[in-house]
Amino acid sequence: MPYENYARWKTEAITEEPKLSIVIPAYNERERIVATIGAIASHVSDLGFPWELLIADDGSKDDTVALCDDLHLVNMRVLRAPKNGGKGSAVQRGMLAARGTYVLFADADNSTPIEEVSKLLNKLEKESFDVAVGSRAAEGAEEGKKSMLRKILSGGLRWIVRHIFFIPVKDTQCGFKMYTREAAQKLHTKQTIMGFSFDLEILYLASKFGYKIAEVPVSWIDAPGSKVDTRKEVQRFLRDLMTVKMNDLKGVYR
Amino acid sequence: MDIIKSSRDNLPVLQLKGRFDAHEVEPVNAWLAEHTGKGEARIIVNLEGMNFIDSTALSTLVRGLKNCRERNGDLHICSLQQPVRVIFELTRLDKAFDIFPTEEEAAKGF
Repeated sequence: MPYENYARWKTEAITEEPKLSIVIPAYNERERIVATIGAIASHVSDLGFPWELLIADDGSKDDTVALCDDLHLVNMRVLRAPKNGGKGSAVQRGMLAARGTYVLFADADNSTPIEEVSKLLNKLEKESFDVAVGSRAAEGAEEGKKSMLRKILSGGLRWIVRHIFFIPVKDTQCGFKMYTREAAQKLHTKQTIMGFSFDLEILYLASKFGYKIAEVPVSWIDAPGSKVDTRKEVQRFLRDLMTVKMNDLKGVYR
Repeated sequence: MDIIKSSRDNLPVLQLKGRFDAHEVEPVNAWLAEHTGKGEARIIVNLEGMNFIDSTALSTLVRGLKNCRERNGDLHICSLQQPVRVIFELTRLDKAFDIFPTEEEAAKGF
């Protein structure tokens, strides 16, 4: 793992089209973002291809943006938002700004270790999938430090998503997903849900538009300081499921 | 995270492997308290085999460093793997700690 690869990525702007763009949505992430950027930059710089990092700020009230700017990483862009619009809006902004052939969205807490990126990339690059979804529910996945409440709720929601909404993915909410740029731009252009369950709408659309979706087992750690209020988010998730279905029936996604 | 307690040249050594985050700080805090609360605190933290460290874990090490220096001792870090080295650099903590390539050099560095 030569340090020189990271040092070059840090200081020399790439001139060709990136093979990979990584989008990290960030809202008040001053405590977590720098370590995650470090882990990602160190690992991906060693994979041997041009890549870029996008921090999609979501109107943070803390100094997340200033901290990121201060790192002076030439291949990292910080996308600013004037106000907080929800995690989905930050991901959307990042996905639409990405220049890479493939685009990964990864959570700011590194809860799925970046070392898992090659599994998703291989699915798109070598097996011609359009979307690769990191999954904590697929066979072979490892879930560390997840509370019992979250396990029960996740199981119930997975059942509804699969059997009532026919989304062919067991884990819609894992913050580790990769798309071809074409798929990312089409799906996120149609996106209407900007909150926590935006993933659900994107996967519903991916299925509706006939994109080839792979579910890839990844390890996942329930990172400390998670901003998810489980009970509230379940209510919103169910409401958003209905919104997606109604949108479709009204022709919003045409 | 795996925690291995040992000593080298009569200096206490804490070796940490895996992911060091807020879930894991408690046993490290306890070890630091035990070895920085008396005498001239000189300790080594070996991070060989660690691939991720978050801000809470970094704060734990900084607090340990401060406690050591208040007792005219020091906390030497050694054997950083690249991801953790980059995190130390980006957070500028590479300037705060004395960092050594090996545990042997960390012990000799006192």
